Amino acid sequence: MYRLFLAVRYLLTRPINLLGMAGILVSVWALVVVVSIFSGFLQQIELHVRSASADISVHELPAWAEWTPLERALRDDPNVADTARRLVHYGMLSRPGQRPASPPLLGRSALHGGDQPFLFVLGIDAAAEARVTGFGSWLENPEIPAELRVADRTRPLAADAGRPRVLVGLERLQREGLHRGDTVVLTSGRLQSEPDGQKGLQQVTLELVVAGAFKTHHGGFDGNNVFVDHEVLRAALFPDAPDGVQEIAVRCRDAATLDATATRLQRAVARVLDRGDDRAYGKVQTWREKNGQFLASVEHQRGLLKIVLIVIMVTAAFLMLATLSMMVTEKTSDIGILTAMGATPLGVLQVFLACGLTITAAGVVLGLLLGTVTSVFLEEIRQFVLWATSIDLFPLKVYNLDRVPCAIDPLWLLQVAAMALAVGTVVSAWPAWRAARHDPLVSLRGN
Amino acid sequence: MSTPVLAAANVTKSYRLGKREIPVLRGVDLALMPGERVALLGASGAGKSTLLHVLGLLDAPTSGQVLFDGRPVHDLPVAERARLRHEHTGFVFQFYHLIPELTALQNVLLARMMATSTLAYWRTRGAARAAAMDLLAQVGLQDRLHHRPSELSGGERQRVAIARALLAEPKVVLADEPTGNLDSATAAGVVELMFSIQQQRGLAFLLVTHNEDLARRCDRIVRMRDGVVQGEPART
Repeated sequence: MYRLFLAVRYLLTRPINLLGMAGILVSVWALVVVVSIFSGFLQQIELHVRSASADISVHELPAWAEWTPLERALRDDPNVADTARRLVHYGMLSRPGQRPASPPLLGRSALHGGDQPFLFVLGIDAAAEARVTGFGSWLENPEIPAELRVADRTRPLAADAGRPRVLVGLERLQREGLHRGDTVVLTSGRLQSEPDGQKGLQQVTLELVVAGAFKTHHGGFDGNNVFVDHEVLRAALFPDAPDGVQEIAVRCRDAATLDATATRLQRAVARVLDRGDDRAYGKVQTWREKNGQFLASVEHQRGLLKIVLIVIMVTAAFLMLATLSMMVTEKTSDIGILTAMGATPLGVLQVFLACGLTITAAGVVLGLLLGTVTSVFLEEIRQFVLWATSIDLFPLKVYNLDRVPCAIDPLWLLQVAAMALAVGTVVSAWPAWRAARHDPLVSLRGN
Repeated sequence: MSTPVLAAANVTKSYRLGKREIPVLRGVDLALMPGERVALLGASGAGKSTLLHVLGLLDAPTSGQVLFDGRPVHDLPVAERARLRHEHTGFVFQFYHLIPELTALQNVLLARMMATSTLAYWRTRGAARAAAMDLLAQVGLQDRLHHRPSELSGGERQRVAIARALLAEPKVVLADEPTGNLDSATAAGVVELMFSIQQQRGLAFLLVTHNEDLARRCDRIVRMRDGVVQGEPART
């Protein structure tokens, strides 16, 4: 009984011990809040990427690949519900008579996209695309202003008085001040055989009419892609390949078995593209695999932050070690009388260990509670701080989010608690061990 | 003849200082009978406190035996020696050694907490509190129960220490210069109190002092010089 009683009394009468507890509290709080934000952010990013992706994509197809046999092979799979072919090319978009803007620094388009003149031009069959991806909903996104919406959503890329149309991401459209019906020029190029047998790059220019805007939840996709009709792009770039295809989007019946389906489809594609030259043509990837590098980079950042925050916890533990060591030094005079009254060295050790563990436990419990509450009400806290100070702690627009994301993982909470308790036990053990080894006669012989 | 409640039989104790061996006790024989009041008198450095610590099982003899109720106890395991200290020996020190964070009542109650689990203490806390308050009333501190040591005078602190030493109802009280830090008037009061309680309870009482007047009030005086008991036959 005396161990707990003394530990509590020692702690209550020494406010400096609050420092150690505060250190543990803050580090636990930070580990909960920051990781919850990052986990929520990761979930949101996944949702955003998912919303702009087909279940499975077949890409890296050779120039001689043909749509018809590939489609047939893919549709033979029991989990394939529908397919849509795409041509994927590159280009720059500008107003007629204007030069495209200069390219910015590399790597700026990862999250947002659309801030550089280069973009992907996707040649699609709008009807097929709508069956396979969320294409239809991208055109009906409520954030698209009425004046920028596509006029005929059933045939968004149908030619306008003989002039082909283009669909542009909402933000790019607004940033460049384009309107529905405006004419833009798509500048691209294609390889063409020269009379001398060499291949040279030939400029291709397409004059297009803006059909309207599309918007997915993935800013990077919206900013970096424009849609034109498959036949328009094929005629301009690949006039000699009427059945050509560069990418195939696949919708699956059961989204839970995408990995297994992708493996089967990879075999099917390999069979169709087998030329007997021991080379594997075409790559089949689930949406997660295709965006794996991007998702992994966010995951990696979360991991790095965890390490930084754990270092903060260790630093807080050293603070606790210092305060506990001070307390043991101050209380050596008590060790003599406790021993005289019947305490064993183990009992003395337990008194000071109980002090450290009480500090740690209080820090962990309060840190977890405060961290969880902060995470749950993070958006409200952000709005309050914004209202009170005009400082936006988490600019949502930068991340294409509606509110501060948060995902509290109970397993992570347990891991944080276990980690803090382990660190707290280790740093409590040393001063406690020192107290237990203190010779009680030294303190009893005189003050 | 009855068995001494506490005895030292040919006890030696030496400390190592670097490569030197410093002998402090050189074959001490001493017996403390039940209800007996013995004064241990000697100059500073004579080995009085060391003998008291050895008898109180706070320190182990280098050789010889410590007997409690005729049973050798000096080489018992640590936990067993701690139990004996708690159950049968009360200590009173010159510098009181009260725990500054605790009130007078809590300092006394701590003696009861030492031997019980949290649950057992919780069940009997009423009785423990009543016993502690009764003891503090006996030493005249019924109005100072909730004062911390820093709010008590030297004499009051020593009274709290006496009450704490007695709560576990020990057979032996070992007092190491209990009045050494008090003015003479306060010291006289504390001595009267100690002796009166000792008589009431029939405690064996070993009083370390170098105050001849105080020593003369004991049943027996044992003089120590250079780690040796002089002119006092051991009653083992």
